[in-house]
Amino acid sequence: MTSDNLPDKPASVASGAAATGEATGLSTPHHNSAGTNRNSNLLRRVFLSHEGVLLIILIASVLTLATQTDKFLTTDNLLNQCRLMAEVALVALPMTYIIITGGIDLSVGSILGLCAIVLGVAWKNYGLPLELAIVLCILTGALAGAVNGFFITMVGVPPLIMTLATLALYRGLAEGISQSRSVRGYPEWFYQLGQGQFWGIPSQLWLVIIALLISGFVLSRSIFGRALYAIGHNETGARYSALPVDRYKLIIYSLSGFMAGIAAFIFVSRVSTTRSDMGTGLELDVIAAVVLGGTSIFGGTGTILGTALGVVLIQLLKNGLALTGVKGDATIMVIGLVLIASILITNYARSRQSGQRSEH
Amino acid sequence: MIAATHAPLNTDNKPVLSLQNISKSFPGVKALQNVSFSINTGEVHALLGENGAGKSTLIKIISGVYQPDSNPDNSLSKHKRTADDTSKIQLDGITVNLDSPRTAQKHGIATIYQELLLYPELSVAENIFMGHAPRTRFGTLDWTKTRQLAREQLASLDIHDLHVDQQVGSLSVGNRQRVEIAKALSQNARILIMDEPTAALTGTDVERLFRIVDLLRQRDVGVIYISHRLEEIFTLADRVTVLRDGATVGTRDVSDTTEDLLINMMVGRTISELYPKQPSVIGAPVLELENVTRAPLTKSISLCLRRGEILGLAGLVGSGRSELAQTIFGITPAQSGKIIHKDRPVSIKSPAKAVELGIAYVPEDRSTQGLIREMRISENTSMAVLKELSNATLIDTKAEQLLADQSIKKFAIRASSSEQLVEKLSGGNQQKVVLGKWMASRPEVLIMDEPTRGIDVGAKAEIHRLMSELACQGMAVLMISSELPEIMGMSDTIAVMREGELVATFDAADATQEQIASAMMGSGTTTRTAAAGDEAVTAIHGTASSQPGIDP
Repeated sequence: MTSDNLPDKPASVASGAAATGEATGLSTPHHNSAGTNRNSNLLRRVFLSHEGVLLIILIASVLTLATQTDKFLTTDNLLNQCRLMAEVALVALPMTYIIITGGIDLSVGSILGLCAIVLGVAWKNYGLPLELAIVLCILTGALAGAVNGFFITMVGVPPLIMTLATLALYRGLAEGISQSRSVRGYPEWFYQLGQGQFWGIPSQLWLVIIALLISGFVLSRSIFGRALYAIGHNETGARYSALPVDRYKLIIYSLSGFMAGIAAFIFVSRVSTTRSDMGTGLELDVIAAVVLGGTSIFGGTGTILGTALGVVLIQLLKNGLALTGVKGDATIMVIGLVLIASILITNYARSRQSGQRSEH
Repeated sequence: MIAATHAPLNTDNKPVLSLQNISKSFPGVKALQNVSFSINTGEVHALLGENGAGKSTLIKIISGVYQPDSNPDNSLSKHKRTADDTSKIQLDGITVNLDSPRTAQKHGIATIYQELLLYPELSVAENIFMGHAPRTRFGTLDWTKTRQLAREQLASLDIHDLHVDQQVGSLSVGNRQRVEIAKALSQNARILIMDEPTAALTGTDVERLFRIVDLLRQRDVGVIYISHRLEEIFTLADRVTVLRDGATVGTRDVSDTTEDLLINMMVGRTISELYPKQPSVIGAPVLELENVTRAPLTKSISLCLRRGEILGLAGLVGSGRSELAQTIFGITPAQSGKIIHKDRPVSIKSPAKAVELGIAYVPEDRSTQGLIREMRISENTSMAVLKELSNATLIDTKAEQLLADQSIKKFAIRASSSEQLVEKLSGGNQQKVVLGKWMASRPEVLIMDEPTRGIDVGAKAEIHRLMSELACQGMAVLMISSELPEIMGMSDTIAVMREGELVATFDAADATQEQIASAMMGSGTTTRTAAAGDEAVTAIHGTASSQPGIDP
């Protein structure tokens, strides 16, 4: 069965990141108190970590869904799901960074819409070369994110308020620029990223994998990543430790916009058209995936591996449940329940773990 | 009349609470080992010990936050506590199981922590009767009665200057503490635990607190009093129990003991010199400030920090000392004036720039400014030198580990390993982690803001010795302190700030305590005489707390 190794393709990518994450102890960075005997505890820690719990839920879901319908566990279907989740996955990476610092970015969906419109209008209405329009689209995203970051760091607007405001503002801009007209008729090469494939794997999946590896590595091993955790736990302390808190926050919000810009490009390329309502509600999918992945909304904890598992789990549940004939509303409910269950299981596992430790 | 209802029927000298052979361990640390402790009615019993000696753990056991370890012979069940002689807690001679703060409260044990747990948005009366306010016939809250009872409660404590409708958030720390005491008594507390109640208080507030403690004694409340200030124990306590390394060293009647004896019991050795200042060679200026200004509390400050010199910066709380330090460290950059670093004018716009210039700042508040408490010791130690510990941008975790281990060894930090979370350490050990972090950056200028606040005698002497050593090695040290003996004992030069201005500079050899004190307060203020302790210091604190803003 060639299709067998496909469902956990993203998962095995993720477990590649897990290896690096575990080696540095960063998979569950700040909840494990000093493990004296690291080797004997390693296996236990993997299964007691939030990522371990998610992996088990993921495997269980895939197996269950596979028995319910024979359309689910097929190469075509799974590859198609990879295409569908690329945008969420890309935007979820910087969102993980932002939530680790205790922030939030609600404007990513609107930025995606704005970028898509800029791409379409710049090419169609202003006659720019399509290559240039793509660059402009991504830069618009970065700029929109930088505006968020500027007001959050320099003016001191709380991230929730700022990005809630730009959620409306950027969407409004997108609608204004587009005049409610969609753009279509792109040249054939443009669809390569959204609809093409490379060595049998959807093109955008390559991009996702690369972004995943880089951002996971940066978060777990670099000064930047370390600083994000520090900021999330105690921003004042980080500042007094001479970490460039404001610069790093500016960077992550800009990065968030930048990724939304790339996601916009992929999105347009995948659906062959540009509309101003693109990406509506994307922010909630992204935040749900990040939180399901174990990133604390209060800041200070979270991993890229967790986020990757969160994205994959949500997408497979949506798809699998739809294929087994479950209605849309029920699907959302199941996702909500899984979210709650995963967090409860992790908390239970952790409390047991620390309980055992204080016993002896 | 309220006082009468509270008076228990116990006779004097009968222990109201007694603990026997209590042990408690945490992962890697034995916090308490076979500790015994008892308190009589109407007694003020001081609990003394260095940071990490187990005082906090003990009071958390008494107040039901922690449960003691069960006896080793029947260690399997945590909750089953037998009437075994080896470990028990007794109230009025009856063995009890204080399994939660609520149970302890029901037994009449109230705790006043260092961080006061009041609702700042609510009124004094609401806070006092939170959770047990009187009700009307219809089951709604009876506000008239609540306020009346609150007034009586305060009056019974001889507090007449607090209005029951005042919002608690608008009160001073001393007043909030009085509200907390009233709250504890309104719940019929028979045992009141006070964890360093004077740590955040000054002068008159301290005196008023002492009067209240005296009143409590008359009302037969047993007070467990924790403090680092030895003179308080002699003014206030009847008995004192000393803990060291989680074990009881002994219990003494205060009348039978001396300060030296207590210190000896606490640290296990005699501290001949709390201020081991070595003479050092004072060299060239490293950092000079010329008319540095930053609104609102740094007004045209000119200072010179020289190699090998400890500059003591004295002043009242709120005189702008920490603000000056934060301006030098780039957290609130100067708005005007010149900063000269080794003969070159520099502008310090960020802490990163300050670190680059070899400036380190050990801040006043270690839990919010000094450390990331939720992170590991190793991660905290490396935080200011991550660039040096990384190849390109990736952190070299081996080097980081090594640095942390060295730091633990060098500063004798009591921890199970460098992987331990900082929040699990005691206050003194946390301060050592902060020091380790900044020593790793090999600074030339070290700013220490209240370096020994809330730290026990032993660790204090250690930090002083280290400070002196660093100065001898040629470091320029700026030490901010509210303790005049520390300023007098450690400084080469003493500078005094008042209301954001540098008002006087003394050579430490020539300065007297009175001169410094009067510079701190301004000439117009009269010196008050206090009952005990150092007159000048008490007077200063009195002025600071009772009439903020009235100061000329």
